Amino acid sequence: MADGSQPDYDSKSEDGDNKVKVICLGDSAVGKSKLVERFLMDGYQPQQLSTFALTLFRYKTKVSNENIAVDFWDTAGQERFSSMHPSYYHQAHACILVFDTTRKITYKNLPNWFKELRQYRPEIPCLCAGNKIDVDYSITKKAFGFPKKHNMPFYFVSASDGTNVVKCFRDAIKAAVAYKNNSTDFMDEIMRELENFDLETEGEDKSDEKSDSGLDSAGDSQGKDDQATGTSTS
Amino acid sequence: MDLRKCGIRFDSPAIVITYIKKDSGKLHRRTMPLRNFNKHSNIKKTTEELKNNPRHKQYLEKISIIQLEKLIGIIQDKLKGISLKKSLETHKQLETVDPSEDLNKVDDETLRIKKAVMDTTFEKNRKKADDPDFQYDLEVDFEKDNAMETIEWDDESDPDF
Repeated sequence: MADGSQPDYDSKSEDGDNKVKVICLGDSAVGKSKLVERFLMDGYQPQQLSTFALTLFRYKTKVSNENIAVDFWDTAGQERFSSMHPSYYHQAHACILVFDTTRKITYKNLPNWFKELRQYRPEIPCLCAGNKIDVDYSITKKAFGFPKKHNMPFYFVSASDGTNVVKCFRDAIKAAVAYKNNSTDFMDEIMRELENFDLETEGEDKSDEKSDSGLDSAGDSQGKDDQATGTSTS
Repeated sequence: MDLRKCGIRFDSPAIVITYIKKDSGKLHRRTMPLRNFNKHSNIKKTTEELKNNPRHKQYLEKISIIQLEKLIGIIQDKLKGISLKKSLETHKQLETVDPSEDLNKVDDETLRIKKAVMDTTFEKNRKKADDPDFQYDLEVDFEKDNAMETIEWDDESDPDF
């Protein structure tokens, strides 16, 4: 990796751990790096992949007794170009889509990021985080249509005071591992939760929700996605 | 020492502070000249040099880099012939985070300043690992109290939301 080439997430790590890649997406200054730093606290080793101008943080954990090496990918400012290099999406197993709850524009730009994500990774689980709730907690009384419309689990988070950061990242790791291992258990669980949520807000037209869901069942997705990213080195 | 005020001198360029000495309770004034400063000087560099100047360092600890950069920027604007009113307006705008401004599209310097402004809030509200009430895994279920109102940002006519 010292030469700046990408790790291969299909193979096991040097220690035989299962490897997953979780990417963060969203506008400049929404707090992506700060969220990753809050989750990892001191226990991380950032690595620069100079070729692609991005940073990744490796984190070791266990999911249902399996050793997992997670790489969190951070944009290192590349979002300034309003789109990411295809290698950013290559082999990603889950995505955390972040916006800043104090800045409307960052919410309004979510569809652009989501579209780009789906172009490269049509099926990976995507979670949505509204950051900086510490600035004005009254925002947590609001319901946000975008994550709901795309069936994404949604988290009100604060990288500053720590609210829900760990929960969001642990869910992202579980979703990534579930996706990679093709198990639908975790997806089912989330889908069930979302179904319950729908019951409480009935009267919604659900007919279009299936089309581009943020959390499709893992199913046979791995193969399909990799075809879609086949041109990532161009 | 207890810092009271922080200001500027245009001619010759300097940062001026007043402070009260803890032991004597007396008010002091300290002038820190910006040597060789002109309209082409790099503000970030000048600020760093001042902040790290061994003679001034201790007096500037409580003043944020962003504030010093602003003050030095105002001096430079004057050297460039920009009116004080205009200069203050520009700096105010630079320090204001407009919720509808797309920061993906601003220049590096503007983004750096806006980030620094947002960082002050981040630091103010921050819970650090050594805070007594720090909790690593802090979970709050906001949706449980239900009765959520839809955010005004959602636009019915926009199919994405």
